[in-house]
Amino acid sequence: MKTSRRRIAASVAGVATLALLATGCAASGSSDGGDKGDKVTLSITTFGTMGVDANYKKYMEENPNVTIEATNLEGGGAARDDAYAKIAAGTGLSDIVAIEEGWLGTIAEVSDSFVDLRDYGIEDKKDTWLDWKYEQGTDADGRVIGAGLDIGPQGLCYRGDLFEAAGLPSERTAVAEYFGGENATWDRFFEVGQEYKDKSGKAFYHSPRFFWNSFVNQQKEGYYKKDGETLNIEGNDVLKDQFVKIVEAEKAGLGAGLPGWDVGPEAKEGKYAVYMCPSWMLGIVQGYYDEGTTDSGWDFADVLPGGSANWGGAFLGVSESSEHKEEAAKLALWLAAPEQQAASFELAGPYPSTVEGQKLVADTKSAFFNDAPIGEIFAARSEGVIAQVKGPEDSNIQDNVFGPIFDRVSQGEITDGETAWKEAMKLLNQIVG
Amino acid sequence: MTSSTLTRPARVDLTFKQKLARFDYRVSPYLYIAPFFILFALIGIFPIAYTLNVSLYDWHLLKGQGDFVGLNNYVSVLSDPFFWNAFRNTISIFLLSAIPQLIIATGLAALLDQALRGKTFWRMSILLPYIVAPVAVAVIFAQIFNQYHGPVAGLLEAFGLEPIRWAFDVLPSHFAIASMVNWRWTGYNALILLAAMQAIPRDVYESAALDGANKIRRFWSITVPMIRPTLIFVVITSTIGGLQIFTEPKLFDGRTNGGSDRQFQTIVLYLYELAFPRRDFGRASATAWILFLIIILAGLINFAITRAIRTADAKPVPIASGPTAAQRAKGAAS
Repeated sequence: MKTSRRRIAASVAGVATLALLATGCAASGSSDGGDKGDKVTLSITTFGTMGVDANYKKYMEENPNVTIEATNLEGGGAARDDAYAKIAAGTGLSDIVAIEEGWLGTIAEVSDSFVDLRDYGIEDKKDTWLDWKYEQGTDADGRVIGAGLDIGPQGLCYRGDLFEAAGLPSERTAVAEYFGGENATWDRFFEVGQEYKDKSGKAFYHSPRFFWNSFVNQQKEGYYKKDGETLNIEGNDVLKDQFVKIVEAEKAGLGAGLPGWDVGPEAKEGKYAVYMCPSWMLGIVQGYYDEGTTDSGWDFADVLPGGSANWGGAFLGVSESSEHKEEAAKLALWLAAPEQQAASFELAGPYPSTVEGQKLVADTKSAFFNDAPIGEIFAARSEGVIAQVKGPEDSNIQDNVFGPIFDRVSQGEITDGETAWKEAMKLLNQIVG
Repeated sequence: MTSSTLTRPARVDLTFKQKLARFDYRVSPYLYIAPFFILFALIGIFPIAYTLNVSLYDWHLLKGQGDFVGLNNYVSVLSDPFFWNAFRNTISIFLLSAIPQLIIATGLAALLDQALRGKTFWRMSILLPYIVAPVAVAVIFAQIFNQYHGPVAGLLEAFGLEPIRWAFDVLPSHFAIASMVNWRWTGYNALILLAAMQAIPRDVYESAALDGANKIRRFWSITVPMIRPTLIFVVITSTIGGLQIFTEPKLFDGRTNGGSDRQFQTIVLYLYELAFPRRDFGRASATAWILFLIIILAGLINFAITRAIRTADAKPVPIASGPTAAQRAKGAAS
């Protein structure tokens, strides 16, 4: 049976190869005519809920010769593997590729797969971006390979209705105060969690993964030292202490034992009451509900246990293999411009990485999050925040070392902090060492 | 040289048409089969050889070729506990899918072999799952077996049973993945076995029936022995396919490479993890070759078993009264 499957696969691959050859020739033939005025199809690959799609239509209306072919992948991990595979193959990257902060460091190692946006005038607009965001998109040789889209200041998504039912404050400023306001700590967060658990009998959060990520991002140096090369995990007591605290919280039943993502049905059932929300997460929580929902009970508070920090954020790069670099760079820079960042924010929540964009959204409120003034809150949450230096294995460590360990903890397989940490170090050495 | 000039005059007499016919006769068959071999060389032999080359180097997915390291990649893969975990998972999923699949397919084929109304309808129906793209199957089954809000979880809850952690515990996850494979391939195999059953001469059944053998007896004593070559074919092909299983476990939890703790990471998923998230192309290629060798080994074992069965079949049935070879040898010794 499988022989025929393979044969079918083989013939399909064969046909595809021929098709590729054919289109390859066709494409290179047509590009000789130059980009000006000709009909151009630009492909773009994004992931998650970036809100970039809010702008495609407008661009195509303003530039009738351009057709945008958009692909959106489910998550950053899928986008990462996709980009790696295509860089390795030397072909297949879309004209514009969205790159996540967590694996930008890896891409920078082979930055010649992407064009230097300075050749397309990004330097003239340098001042519009936050300095550190522009800096992140620049490789060691000074080539600018990514135009900053969003940044990931974090606040706390919480269920006002569930908080109220449990007798906790439910109004967003009162909630922020209750967690400690500007001086909110993780200890206080777990205390409130315990209180919620005691009063409602229900779990407080869905998975420890996100709180861990937030915590790691709050440190001056995360999984890597500032040089972006030396690992900073083993023997790091700050990380270990927090790790052990999370295991304790899990033992106390504060977590719902759910996976990190795709937990919409459980949200609707009220199985958890808070969600760690970097700006780009708003769209994900919102995506758990039908479009236009306003009575989900979710609200958004201006507080983050442990203090402000950045988690994530994306860039747009133009692939070197693109047939229409000029047009693609123009579109990428346009999509990363303040007005378009603002439109993305209003659609899905990723907070602008440009000063001007942040000003444009200062008054934006979110109907889904109980009319929370998200523009104002993120402005407060991003004050003085600079993203941490990421190393080449950052996203790998997050997904494949700590992710699985926390799953085992929240499934009750490991109940002791020391043991869990040892397991994590073992895994770390197997995967990265 | 001389000999060719000597033979030439004889050929000069041939007309162009004749030459063409001759050429056609001699060369055409090769041309007809050439596309397959050209394609096979292009997308079969070349990648296999290239992978062997890559597997001998320290090869970063993005940065490319590094130092020559000989067999180091093979050593490091074979000493990696994750590889052996993947190996165990692959075998476990294979057994959980191949065995029930074969039994059900044989049963289904036997049923379809009966005089049914609307034969074509039934035969087409069991092939339907095969037409559905494996990705779609995996997505649907991942929903069905969702630990938290899938229909199976709901059913278990309705009966007051403990929830099963489909994506977290090893055996349940293997079961869920095997059920995808079974769903897709059982009908297909049933049709192949049905074809074999249809080739059994009907008079064999008739005479057995006359001798008083009932349906069950006829199935075990006639059908099963006579479809054995086809059964072996099915086993071999499903071994090859089963060892390369990828789509089902990958999509069972798309965000991981075979479960958060590698509960259902198969060898190909292990290879994928090495190649992409970990970007170690050298070791990934070594894994590909190890898998290739494992499959060849499995094929050889299958082949040996087949031959053993054939020779067993070919042996004449010893006459009850005559001494067996062993007895004769014993007699000669004493």
